[in-house]
Amino acid sequence: MEFDFTPVITYFPTLLKGVGVGSLVAVIVAFMSIVGGLLVAVISIYINKIVSWPLRFFIWLFMTTPLLLQLYFLYFGLGEWILIPAIFVGILGLGFHYMAYNADIFVATIKSVSNGQYEASRSLGFGHAATIFYIIVPQAFIRSIPQLGNNMILMVKDTSVLSAIGVAELVYASQYAISVSFRPFEFFIVIAAMYYLINIFMELGQVWLERETAYRR
Amino acid sequence: MNTERNKDEPMIEIRDVHKSFGDLEVLKGINLTVNRGKIVSIIGPSGSGKSTLLRSVNHLEVIDQGNILLDGVQVNRPDMKGLQFERHINHIRQNMGMVFQHFNLFPHLSTIDNITLAPRKLKKMPPKIARELGMELLNRVGLASKADVFPNWLSGGQKQRVAIARALAMEPKVMLFDEATSALDPELVEEVNQVMQSLAEEQMTMLIVTHEMGFARDVSDWAMFMDGGVVVEECAPQKLFSNPDQERTQNFLRKHLNS
Repeated sequence: MEFDFTPVITYFPTLLKGVGVGSLVAVIVAFMSIVGGLLVAVISIYINKIVSWPLRFFIWLFMTTPLLLQLYFLYFGLGEWILIPAIFVGILGLGFHYMAYNADIFVATIKSVSNGQYEASRSLGFGHAATIFYIIVPQAFIRSIPQLGNNMILMVKDTSVLSAIGVAELVYASQYAISVSFRPFEFFIVIAAMYYLINIFMELGQVWLERETAYRR
Repeated sequence: MNTERNKDEPMIEIRDVHKSFGDLEVLKGINLTVNRGKIVSIIGPSGSGKSTLLRSVNHLEVIDQGNILLDGVQVNRPDMKGLQFERHINHIRQNMGMVFQHFNLFPHLSTIDNITLAPRKLKKMPPKIARELGMELLNRVGLASKADVFPNWLSGGQKQRVAIARALAMEPKVMLFDEATSALDPELVEEVNQVMQSLAEEQMTMLIVTHEMGFARDVSDWAMFMDGGVVVEECAPQKLFSNPDQERTQNFLRKHLNS
């Protein structure tokens, strides 16, 4: 079998555009899932059961069903009544999915901050909410970095699933090129390498962040 | 200033305080008054209720019965609910510095930020002035060079000195010490004792729960021995540590001084 990478080179700008769309989605989803996950965790731990119950249900729902199904549901299922642009559906779907996973991490790390920290803050005169904001959450966040990093690497790879609903990210971008060039092997190996590179950089970032925060743990 | 009169002003009043954990009554009607500028030490075996009593003063334990007053203001207010009580207790606690056995420094903040966080956020002190105050306090505990170091890089003794500085930053009327040196290696106890000694010389009102018999004897104006949730004996420290009346006190001191 002979390899021919010329179509890959021809369509490389299209692939790069796909990387751009995927990265944009990933950045928004990362922000949404981390901030949202933190809120969900804080509410479900500190606010009374009646408020936190729907949130627990939401976490349970997104963690026990496949991402692809969630995307299909939001895009085609809800599409019967309201057609949301694919990229928004992708951001919302991925965002909620990883928000649930991140919330799970934050719940564990918030609970891992010792009661002595809470008492020390309260004894200085900080209120309950201020203690959560200034003392508990920052410490929990630092402890969450390794697992958040792992989740975000998974999330970046999962942006490829958005091709199923037509978001023009990297995998989707390659599909047209493959259909005209008949060179799936070459395209997919190059795309795999691109994901690999992105993840290497993310892992380096994660290692750097962990090292930078180690002395604050 | 009329210091003589001030000296007899009660700063901490503990009146008939009861506290139970489930079926176990750990405080069985405790009374104690600490006057302005005085230092009272509480000693006793583990489980005697001495830490619970001290924590009750800061409302970290909620008492079941009795009253606790700080400078004439009632700390426990069973009549207040929710946010109203929170505002009340936050205000009270700003006048009370608490030092814990395990330091409880905030690991995500530098030494200086540990000290200045409360004045900046609670008293709205400008950062520059807060830093000056923080440096002054660090100087006082001999750790000015450690201002921008994080707590995990400090020794136990240094951590506790920072914790004392942090408590002092709110300019409290009283300081509460909950076995402040119990978690320290023996060679680090002295540096913390020195800081507490210097506070004593500045006439800080202090309530100290401790296992350091020698320190308690030297620094206190009054000493109290607790066991089983009751005050067994209280008197001037010279007498309590050398010639106590009660047999339980004698037994405790014998065991403690021999070990």
